[in-house]
Amino acid sequence: MRDFKETLKNCLREEPPFCSCACPFGLDVRDLISRLQRGSFNSAYRLFQNTVGFPAIVAQVCHRPCAAACIRKEKDEAVLLGKLEQAAVAYAANRRPNQYQLPAKGKKIAIIGAGPGGLACALRLTARKYEVVLYEKTNRIGGCLWDLLLPEQFLAEFELQLMYERYELKLNCEINDLATLTADAIYIATGPEGNRFGFCGAAGASRQDGIFLGGGEQPADAIATGLRMAGVIEAYLKTGLMRQPETRKTTRLVMDAAAIPFAPPAVTDGPLTRDQAVQEAGRCLKCQCDACLKHCDLMRYYGKSPGRIEEEVEVTIHPGTLDGNGTVATRLIASCNHCDVCKNVCPQGIDTGAFLLQSQRSMQEKGAMPWPFHDFWLRDLEFSNGADCALVRPAAPGERSSYFFFPGCRLGGSDPRYVTESYRYLLSVEPETAIFTGCCGAPALWAGDQALLQSTIEQIRRQWLDLGRPIAVFACVSCRNIFRQFLPEIESRMLYQVMEQHGFQPPVTAAETARLAVFDPCQSEDDPELHRAVRVLTEKAGCRIADEAELPLCCGWGGQVSIANPPYFAQVVRDRAARSELPYLTYCANCRDVFAGAGKPAYHLLDLLFALNRHTGREAAYRRAPTASESRQNRRLLKKTLLHEFFKEEAPMSENRLPLRLSPQTAEKLQRDLILLEDVEAVIRHCEASGEKALDESGLCFGHLQIGQMTFWVAYRPTADGFCLENAYCHRMSLGGE
Amino acid sequence: MSESTARKLICYRCKVELQPEKTYFQYLGHSFFTDIPKCPVCGLVYIPEELARGRMAEVEQELEDK
Ligand code: SF4
Ligand code: SF4
Ligand code: SF4
Ligand SMILES: [Zn+2]
Repeated sequence: MRDFKETLKNCLREEPPFCSCACPFGLDVRDLISRLQRGSFNSAYRLFQNTVGFPAIVAQVCHRPCAAACIRKEKDEAVLLGKLEQAAVAYAANRRPNQYQLPAKGKKIAIIGAGPGGLACALRLTARKYEVVLYEKTNRIGGCLWDLLLPEQFLAEFELQLMYERYELKLNCEINDLATLTADAIYIATGPEGNRFGFCGAAGASRQDGIFLGGGEQPADAIATGLRMAGVIEAYLKTGLMRQPETRKTTRLVMDAAAIPFAPPAVTDGPLTRDQAVQEAGRCLKCQCDACLKHCDLMRYYGKSPGRIEEEVEVTIHPGTLDGNGTVATRLIASCNHCDVCKNVCPQGIDTGAFLLQSQRSMQEKGAMPWPFHDFWLRDLEFSNGADCALVRPAAPGERSSYFFFPGCRLGGSDPRYVTESYRYLLSVEPETAIFTGCCGAPALWAGDQALLQSTIEQIRRQWLDLGRPIAVFACVSCRNIFRQFLPEIESRMLYQVMEQHGFQPPVTAAETARLAVFDPCQSEDDPELHRAVRVLTEKAGCRIADEAELPLCCGWGGQVSIANPPYFAQVVRDRAARSELPYLTYCANCRDVFAGAGKPAYHLLDLLFALNRHTGREAAYRRAPTASESRQNRRLLKKTLLHEFFKEEAPMSENRLPLRLSPQTAEKLQRDLILLEDVEAVIRHCEASGEKALDESGLCFGHLQIGQMTFWVAYRPTADGFCLENAYCHRMSLGGE
Repeated sequence: MSESTARKLICYRCKVELQPEKTYFQYLGHSFFTDIPKCPVCGLVYIPEELARGRMAEVEQELEDK
């Protein structure tokens, strides 16, 4: 946790944009641009005026170092900030400065040189009501500006910006000896060629108390220095300390120039109209690091940057560290998809997902995470690894295995044939392949349940040792990644790579599926080899990949967030489904079923490779996602089929299902609320056995049972041959207590 | 009152009508009560769907976000 706070120091969120750092004034360009984008010339002018002192002059004479720094020029042309500043000046309705009613400070500053730098310093100091005397050796103010602008342009500006201030101006007054001046501080602003009175070095505080040096090759630099030095002089007058002005900011910002959309300026000659100015402001990228906010669904959904998330998580895990009752981030913590996108897009590699997983663990250890967020999936893990589903067998009894196929729990849950056909194929290329069904422990990982994760991993390790340390073949990237992380000693391959390497030739069928978009699962990010193998196989099956997502993204399943945060889950799924109009080709059972569940046509790669679910063309794409109950049934069926087909054994009939009828609407409702038929049956059995039920006039029975921590209610009718389920619902509160 | 909360229910074992009675619930370490139909003899309860999916679900969510 502490570590994350440390790494956040590398976060670039607060870094200034390139232009602001190049600007002698450090102008807040993003803010200026925002105002201009809204067409707010007045407020843009106000910001510019406060920053540069003499806006009409700076907008004309600035030598525009920002343009050289602007990242936009990597693509087309730098943002025309100079012209935008001129537009702000031209279109501001009221250009007068603010008037400050402050008491006189009673300190006197002598400024030598009434060029732009000296006047800028005078402007700030007089506004703060210091007494200022300007000494100018010539007979006019403005210095170098006479060579650059028309006199009416800058003289009027000096007059305007200094209109409320009083200062003493001594023209034709050359100072040769500073000792002749009586002042509390002296500012030497005599220009690059002027008298420095024996002081050398850059602009700043001199080595003599009370004497300060101006400087700057360009008029804009001189003005910027004058403004900055006014602050340094004031600090000296208040504290007696000779401090140097703050050094100009640099930026660590990194931006991907390749991602900038092409948009050259509409006009480059002459002043901009209001509309053109708004349009030009629109070209600015307002450079700021927001890769995570842009790409991470969670951060986008909550509108929170990693820094904000860290703060909220901190008070959630340690309530009482701050005032207030803010354990606000519980649901946020439980909503991370653990897709690694945040880490992969962050130029600093900041891993917010890992931080959230660690936070999930802390909350879980404290018992502070609401149990329903993960309860269903933990029960599902238990089911997958229980006697009904789990099967670990070498291909031939007693023989050692060179490989073992670990299809993962979801693949068989989606369609048992995905597993049986793959296994049949693997045996054909490598007869010493064992089968190993069950769950890798992902739900425990995501729930932050360390103990359960450890025991699941240990169990897998033991069984792997019993099989004689074979190489794993995975069909699911998530399983593979969990093995890589927790069972690094197990060498592994992806099924699709094995097939590609063995030159697998899938049957070429249905032309309707010819154009597909590949949806690479998150967590496959670092595996271009896998991406390639999948594409080769797809094309061999006669399909053309016509679309690709830019990044491997999470379909929404990751982290099993659908219960903890249904609206967030729905939004992620909607976004993913909309990324291409074409049917998706997936190679993760979760992706396939999540999309199918949202009505998005989606194939599993194995549908193509083994000609499954394909017989009626596009129908496969619309194959309904199995309900939670069907997924369980499929996993039971898988074990039976494997035993029967590959080992010539009949599975003992362990289950004892109630004859239960229900309408499709009721089935849909159960699925929506993730109520398993098995749970419904358990309630009915309980009611029938105990007689604990209520009846209405029509004979409809109502009863309930708490299973685990959840309480289930059913409304059913006994029929001649069993039961008819009319309704079922559940709640998280438990009955009793006081 | 909605249809099912107004439903007349009989306890199967005791053959008496369920009557609204103050009942306690627990969730995430907090306790609540509300009136729900209960058998005056054996204490069998009935929670209508409206209550489970409505008020109860709201309170559940509030506590989870607390
Ligand atoms: S991507 Fe996000 S976390 Fe990474 S540096 Fe940028 S703002 Fe910070
Ligand atoms: S795009 Fe805008 S914010 Fe970025 S460097 Fe250029 S002017 Fe500055
Ligand atoms: S892992 Fe994914 S969902 Fe979680 S914070 Fe990172 S990008 Fe967001
Ligand atoms: Zn009773």
